[in-house]
Amino acid sequence: MANSKITLNYFDIKGRAEIIRLVLTWAGKDFVDNRISREDWPALKPKSPFGQLPYVEIDGKVYGQSLAISNFFAREFNLYGKSNLDGLIIDQVAQLTEDFIQEIVKVIRAADPETKAANQKKVQEEAAPKFWGFYEKLLKESSGQYFVGDEVTLADLIAFDVVTGFVSDFTLPLPDSYPLLTALVETIGNNDNIKAYKAKQQ
Amino acid sequence: MAPKPIKLFYFDARGRAEVCRLLLAAAGQKYEDIRYTQEQWETEKDNTPFKQLPVIEIDGKRFGQTIAIITYLATEFGFRGKTNLEALAIDQAVQLTYDFLNCFVKVWVEKDETKKAEYMKHFKEVEVPKYLGFYEKLLKESGTGYFVGNSLSVADLSCYDFLYGLKSMGVLSTDEYPNIQNLQKKVESNEKIKAYLATRKQTPT
Repeated sequence: MANSKITLNYFDIKGRAEIIRLVLTWAGKDFVDNRISREDWPALKPKSPFGQLPYVEIDGKVYGQSLAISNFFAREFNLYGKSNLDGLIIDQVAQLTEDFIQEIVKVIRAADPETKAANQKKVQEEAAPKFWGFYEKLLKESSGQYFVGDEVTLADLIAFDVVTGFVSDFTLPLPDSYPLLTALVETIGNNDNIKAYKAKQQ
Repeated sequence: MAPKPIKLFYFDARGRAEVCRLLLAAAGQKYEDIRYTQEQWETEKDNTPFKQLPVIEIDGKRFGQTIAIITYLATEFGFRGKTNLEALAIDQAVQLTYDFLNCFVKVWVEKDETKKAEYMKHFKEVEVPKYLGFYEKLLKESGTGYFVGNSLSVADLSCYDFLYGLKSMGVLSTDEYPNIQNLQKKVESNEKIKAYLATRKQTPT
């Protein structure tokens, strides 16, 4: 994988691809961050495995599903803990986040403005505190400052993405009542690779 | 590796736990298959990590989230491929199945009868051919009869289980899909799975 050519294809937004970008950036792995315009997408669609973005090309082969892809790169670049049980802890965070995202999808895909507003309210008042609460609980249960002890893993990057990425466009700002989550987001954000990457996105 | 005692908690149904049961059966791994009634669930809810089922207890620690659990079991017992790239291909197919499942959940949970019928029509006419088409494509590309590599993986079992459920409800047929038909035969002819399927508790869902 060290010498593999990786191309990530997605729209020019954070969305579902940002976690993949964060994993590769944290790992210091070069990749082609191919950002596609809405106009160019229909022509590219047949090349994607399932007619969706994101998809990656790794040494000429294509793969879809953002969770599968981010999980793969995490395993390749030592961001998946040391044991299968570590993996289970990390995947719990990934799958909880997927449930959180599904609540946001209900806002994005709402059929009419009333439903959209109602679903948006539910995200802000119910889903966000619930899922932030789960992250805080899991961090409290950990033996260290990260989800898996003292080692940064995919789970921490996922939590960082939830608080700074597209999910946060649909929630209120993270309140003070989640101190461990707040500290985690700050620590991840202070990483040199992440800082350089974020500066480039401005 | 010393065996860790495993307990699986779910309702008295196949539902979101059956893939766990299939994996454990294929692995020949003993476990406690705990099935809650609705009343029991009301009191046991607070003993789960996220107030949801299924939950797995490994060596006294409890974990939730279906895909996290099946990925753990698949990795533990050799149903997640031989390399990282194979695991990616497997995970891709598993995520696809759960996207498909989420489409069906939308139909299943809808209480308004008119909307429900509309969603079901959309599911049968749009989502079913789309996802069965993806499965057929992946199986054809693999060429081995399994989704990935030469052996049974959690990709095969999760696809098999979800399609079994939909077929038993009369929602779809796989007759027009030769590679999917072949996969189903392959799963059912696995010795340990065959024995499990012959004796598992029959429930409506």
